[in-house]
Amino acid sequence: MINFKDVSKVYRSGNREIKALETINFQIKKGEIVLLKGVSGSGKSTILSLIAGVTKPTSGDIVVNGKRVSKLQDRFSSKFRQETIGFIFQKFNLIPNISTFDNIVVPIIPLNLDSREIEKRVKKLLKEFNLEHRRDILVKNLSGGEQQRVAICRALINTPEIIIADEPTANLDRKLSLGFIEILKSLKDKTVIIATHDPIFFNLDIINRVIEIENGKVKKDKKTPNRNK
Amino acid sequence: MRKINLYLIEFAINSLFRQKWKNIFIVIVFTLLIVILSSIFQIASSIRYELNLSLNSLPDIFIQKIKAGKLYDIEVDRVDKILEIEGVESAKPRVWGYYYFENAGVNFSVIGIDQYQNQYKDTLKSLVSKLDFEELEKNSSMVVGIGVKKILEESYYNRYFNFIRPDGTIKRVYIAGVFDSNISLEANDMMVMSQETFRDIFQIDGSLATDIVVGVPNKSEIPTVATKIKLLYPDTRVLTKEDLKISYQNIFDYKQGIFLTLFVISIFTFFIIVYDKLSGLNSQEKREIGILRAVGWSMEDILKERFYEALIISIISFLVGYIISLYYVYILKAPLLRDIFEGYSKLRTDFNLMFHFDTQIAIMLFLLTVPIYIGANIIPAWIASSIDIDEVIK
Repeated sequence: MINFKDVSKVYRSGNREIKALETINFQIKKGEIVLLKGVSGSGKSTILSLIAGVTKPTSGDIVVNGKRVSKLQDRFSSKFRQETIGFIFQKFNLIPNISTFDNIVVPIIPLNLDSREIEKRVKKLLKEFNLEHRRDILVKNLSGGEQQRVAICRALINTPEIIIADEPTANLDRKLSLGFIEILKSLKDKTVIIATHDPIFFNLDIINRVIEIENGKVKKDKKTPNRNK
Repeated sequence: MRKINLYLIEFAINSLFRQKWKNIFIVIVFTLLIVILSSIFQIASSIRYELNLSLNSLPDIFIQKIKAGKLYDIEVDRVDKILEIEGVESAKPRVWGYYYFENAGVNFSVIGIDQYQNQYKDTLKSLVSKLDFEELEKNSSMVVGIGVKKILEESYYNRYFNFIRPDGTIKRVYIAGVFDSNISLEANDMMVMSQETFRDIFQIDGSLATDIVVGVPNKSEIPTVATKIKLLYPDTRVLTKEDLKISYQNIFDYKQGIFLTLFVISIFTFFIIVYDKLSGLNSQEKREIGILRAVGWSMEDILKERFYEALIISIISFLVGYIISLYYVYILKAPLLRDIFEGYSKLRTDFNLMFHFDTQIAIMLFLLTVPIYIGANIIPAWIASSIDIDEVIK
């Protein structure tokens, strides 16, 4: 499903070079829930960006769902994201001055789908995430938990096979973080990759695997035996 | 055929509403610019059109007698020799001049016409409905412009006007008609009467005229004929229709210069907006583009969305501005701007600009504003969407 082969990423800032990842190798199978663990700046978010094709590796090869995302041209990598990836950002990255409905449909707008199809998909998600009554409310007027649910709905609207979550609980209190974990449990048959250093995830039974990143390298890659999905 | 993505258009509209006040301000400024530019061009075009129509109906050559740099009446019998010049079809003496009406402190343009001069007869017939030329001649009457009529009425001259001859005696002339308002720009201060009446008022001998007009059917021969007349009568000034066109054009161009200043100011303001747009997007706009790119929008999708945003703003501003300018020029009669063309004479023209839709002006204005604005919106979005999404969304 996801294959990282000798992947390195170097960011350049003027004359300075920052090595974000150094010869990373791993594979993630379909349906796995993987935790990318590590301190801030360890390279977790870079791995997520590389999986999504948002950024390209300096060297190495990344294959996701049979597509070499490391070599995809811009418009193909956008299409790839549109079809395959659901993104949940640390700060939700919602558009504050538009409604819940409009935020959720953002990823599928370019697809020019039939309005009934869009309505059907959004309705289903709003119901599933208990946001029906907030459908037409501006996102900036929602609570933190509701905003996060909107961000998850947006990540799921294009029925992606892979969900990527970058520090999803960083801006949430414990109660809301537990709520997010409940949502995670409901995401059946999706490959989920969560980059976090929040300990709340560390002993979860839904996590199949923990990859620990340190200074741009894989420090540990440990399978967790209990998967209770 | 791919159907139009209405969701993308709706998203663009929502996006405009997200920065409501900024966009309302841009629409207002953009609309005002279109109003100013379009009004300038429309007034200029309409006046040029009207002047050209008038100038085209002028005689081919005018001959005036000059002595010591001053104009004098010309001998009518010179017509016979002029008619002998090859290429000349007609040569007619004219009488015209100005009458100073002391009560109102204004000058009227007085023209004496000969009923046998078809050139004037036809023109006048088209301007004044139910004009009886024989009556005009017999009963010492005249046709006047709207401005003249108003001024006379202010002094209680409703049916006639009493001219004072050079010897101090009075000549009563009846008002037989008023010129139609759509030719008022030129005819506003005119009094048209028979040559007999004119000569009577100004006490001009029948052997003299104000000038002589010459008709030359072959337009390419006009300069040659003009030169021959000048050689024949060295004490004359020979003006061709082309000379007059140039001098009218000079006055017109001078006034257009003032408009040009307004035009430059307007364009300058427009380019400030364009520059502001080109100088880049704010952090919120950049972040939004980053989010859209991260959730799967291609650069093309983002540029399309930006295109719709700019198109909506520029088309609305252009259409509203253009409609307002039509209303301003042709219904409100261009207050403020019309003063530049009209001047401030007491005999104010009843300014009815002839409606003349100039497609070239509309296209030029459109090309000068709409594509530039759209470009100014798309370029920074293109730059922003080509930078590292990672940087933007973090």
